[in-house]
Amino acid sequence: MSLPLPVLHILVALADGDRHGYAIMQEVAARTDGAVRLGPGTLYGSIKRMLHDGLIEELDERPDSDEDDVRRRYYRITPRGRTLAREEIGRLAALVRHARAAGLTPKTG
Amino acid sequence: MNAFDRLYRILLRLYPAEFRDEYGREMTQLLRDRSLHEPRMRVYADVARDLIATVPKEQSRVLLNDLRYAVRMIRRTPGFSAAVVLTVALAIAANTAMFSVVNAVLLRPLPFGNPSRLVQVAEKNDRLNLPNFGASVLNFVSWREQTHAFEQLAAIGFASFNLSGDGGEPEQLVGNRISPALLNVLGIAPVAGRNFTDAEENPGAPAVAMIGERVWARRFGRDPSIVGRSITINGARTTVVGIAPAALNLFSGGDVYVPLTIDPAKEIRLNHVIFVTGRLKPDVTIQAAQAECDTVAAAMGRTYPEIRDWGIRLLSFFDTFVSAQLETSLLVLLAAVGFVLLIACANIANLLLARATAREKEIAVRTALGASRTRLLHQLLVESVTLSAIGGAAGIVAAIWAVRVINASLPPNLLPIPDVHIDATVLIFAVGLTLATGLVFGIAPASYAARTDVSEMLKTTARGAGRGRVRLRSGLAAAELALATVLLIGAGLLIQTFVNLQRARLGFETKGLLTFQLAPPTAAYPLTDRAPLFYRALLDSLQAVPGVRSAAVSSGIPFGQGNYTTSPVVTSGPSALPPDTPVPIDWRIVSPGYFRTMSIPLLRGRDFSDRDGPNAPLVTIVSQATARKFWGDMDPIGRTLHRNADSRAVTVVGVVGDVRSTTLNQESPALYYPMAARVWPLMDVVVRTDSSPEALLPMVRQKVRELDAGLPVATVRTMDEWVSNSATQPRLSAALVGVFAAVAVLIAAIGIYGVLAYSVNQRTREIGLRIALGARADGVVRLIVKEGMAVSIAGIVAGVVTAMILGRAVSSLVYGIRPDDPLTFAAVGVLLAVVALAACSLPARRAARVDPMVALREE
Repeated sequence: MSLPLPVLHILVALADGDRHGYAIMQEVAARTDGAVRLGPGTLYGSIKRMLHDGLIEELDERPDSDEDDVRRRYYRITPRGRTLAREEIGRLAALVRHARAAGLTPKTG
Repeated sequence: MNAFDRLYRILLRLYPAEFRDEYGREMTQLLRDRSLHEPRMRVYADVARDLIATVPKEQSRVLLNDLRYAVRMIRRTPGFSAAVVLTVALAIAANTAMFSVVNAVLLRPLPFGNPSRLVQVAEKNDRLNLPNFGASVLNFVSWREQTHAFEQLAAIGFASFNLSGDGGEPEQLVGNRISPALLNVLGIAPVAGRNFTDAEENPGAPAVAMIGERVWARRFGRDPSIVGRSITINGARTTVVGIAPAALNLFSGGDVYVPLTIDPAKEIRLNHVIFVTGRLKPDVTIQAAQAECDTVAAAMGRTYPEIRDWGIRLLSFFDTFVSAQLETSLLVLLAAVGFVLLIACANIANLLLARATAREKEIAVRTALGASRTRLLHQLLVESVTLSAIGGAAGIVAAIWAVRVINASLPPNLLPIPDVHIDATVLIFAVGLTLATGLVFGIAPASYAARTDVSEMLKTTARGAGRGRVRLRSGLAAAELALATVLLIGAGLLIQTFVNLQRARLGFETKGLLTFQLAPPTAAYPLTDRAPLFYRALLDSLQAVPGVRSAAVSSGIPFGQGNYTTSPVVTSGPSALPPDTPVPIDWRIVSPGYFRTMSIPLLRGRDFSDRDGPNAPLVTIVSQATARKFWGDMDPIGRTLHRNADSRAVTVVGVVGDVRSTTLNQESPALYYPMAARVWPLMDVVVRTDSSPEALLPMVRQKVRELDAGLPVATVRTMDEWVSNSATQPRLSAALVGVFAAVAVLIAAIGIYGVLAYSVNQRTREIGLRIALGARADGVVRLIVKEGMAVSIAGIVAGVVTAMILGRAVSSLVYGIRPDDPLTFAAVGVLLAVVALAACSLPARRAARVDPMVALREE
């Protein structure tokens, strides 16, 4: 099973720390130099299904609760999410190797 | 909170409720955060893109879930689901098939270019009460010169042609003489070859013809090389210049077309023999064109005094080709079949309401688990629409098959179109109707089920709850009966109409009559000498055949396809009418012995004889109605009359009985002229036999061949077939509405039974208690029957009232009976009450058998 691109982005964004929705969006945008900006529907649609599939979980306690709005929900990657993300990244890396071997290199700028 | 936030909150409603409830706040917050850090326009664009991408996705996920759940529920109760699906399939199939006919006849444009601009240009004569009459060739020529409202005018004449000389069997075909402009006016083009040229309208032009697509396929195997070849038409070598498109046979079912040649020297203005059509100029309305035609007609009346009473009437092609009666019949049938669907919907709703009780537990559990009311309603509607969609799909397949049967089995000429198709309009109608059906039968049960109060449910058992639901179910059952009453009354009226038509006194005996048509070419058989002699020889030879009692010839037998014409006739001398009053009368040419052969009684005077030839005094035989009209109680024999267009006096030599000749419900006065003086190019031959008419046919063919081997025997029918064909439309209407009504009554009876059985089930405890307290079995029966009959009588009364209101709509379709015939209404009311009583008695008897001990222990 290959993961949809927004799901993979969210998993990567959560890989090094728990975040709320806006933070996930910002993280993804920062990592992709603003190329990928997840809209609210895409973000929460993906989150809903990732929760259902057990790739992430919603946190009961709010980290940094003093400095942040209590209403925000925080999400954490699950071991299963981590495994699936790793597998997917592996597949993508292999694909990139094959592409390079075939002379298909991305334009760098 | 700014305007954008508020707008976004409204847009969030596009998402499924669950999703919105769960994440709506977060999503709004996310946007607020972004608007603080990013350019507004970029956020707006992102949100728009995001909505378009994710709303359908989230919605379809929910729908898919509901569908899965619906399919699971449908499969859990296979018997119930099958009953619903089957009911919907039948109702949708019937509605779709019926609508496809309505669509083909009333909605689809005629197969011409921009048909809404086409009109029929008819002649009218208010004094003679002729609102829509044929045109004369000379008037057509004048109109063509003097009017400006039309792009072009074209004329169509009617004729029959003998086709031979191409190696095949000689064949007689109907066809038309047409103006070269006709195809242009209609906006159609030849399938192959060319159209006629304007020069081919002149007398003496080389003989050319087009053949219709149908005969091109049947006789020439669609061989394109037929164009340019010559064939023999009516004995003359004629070049086939083109293949005419099928649309052209709307006018007379024609297969052969030749140019309508115009020789003004040979025409008179009062000879109304052609059909004229015109295409209105783009900016001209039919009213404006009519106004111009009125002016032109008035001017022509001053120039040519003989036509001063005649005017021009423009009719849209729809009015020309779709009779008001056909339109009414189709709409009544569509309404009837729609009623069946409504009854089916009410019945399914009733079944679902009953089942909603059984599902109360399931619903309560789902509500307790957090499903909202909207969510449940949505879910239940998806379930009912899924049920109806399965039924609808089956119904559409059945309708495709039914339309094939309709095309194969409907007699030709019943509908003014070659065949019925299931096109996009019909499919959209069927799909829309299916979805609407699912919503209609699902909405009441679903909203009731979704309203189920959880705490109420947990406190009490199902018993005693849902009085409102019982009322709703009773209302539905009453509505079903009301609709069934309307349908049954309609069926009663139409069936009696059909029976009345069958009983109508035709004025002649149909049994044992064989009829066929002959058209000896006029070049070889001039109409005033060789042709009458040919028919005399034929009749003598046919009469010699064993089994033939007598044989005769007529220019148009009753209910046949022959020529019969209405001409204004005037009497001379004493008359029951004011002097010089022209009266339009149907007339035919008949041979001696025609009245004997048809068993039309000769009431006074004498029959025609062979001595009434072209050089003898002009004589006529009148029908009784004609005699009464012209001369009242005076003796008509020896009196004279003449055609309005011809001053020669004709003496009445006989009076015969009246005959119904075009429609079963109308008696028409008639005049008869002798064959010996003149015949028409196409004549009907009738042969009366003692045995079966069909058995005689080979001998008849043999006799015709002996006289002229090149002469085809055409349109062979028995008189019974002609008469029966003329009643096709009332017979079909009666049969269809009868079937619809029977189905409706059956469903309605099941509806009443279902409601009562449910009610008895609900009240088992109460009934048990009554019995335990000493109520007698017949008392219990009476109690239940009274409940059921109250609902039934309400429904029947509502139906009777509705039928009285709707009766006016069918008044043009009934014959020999009033649309508010009290006997029919009463009989239907009583019949349905009996059916309802029977439906009530089953649950009532079950109630009487309730064992109080069992009923009370159940609690």
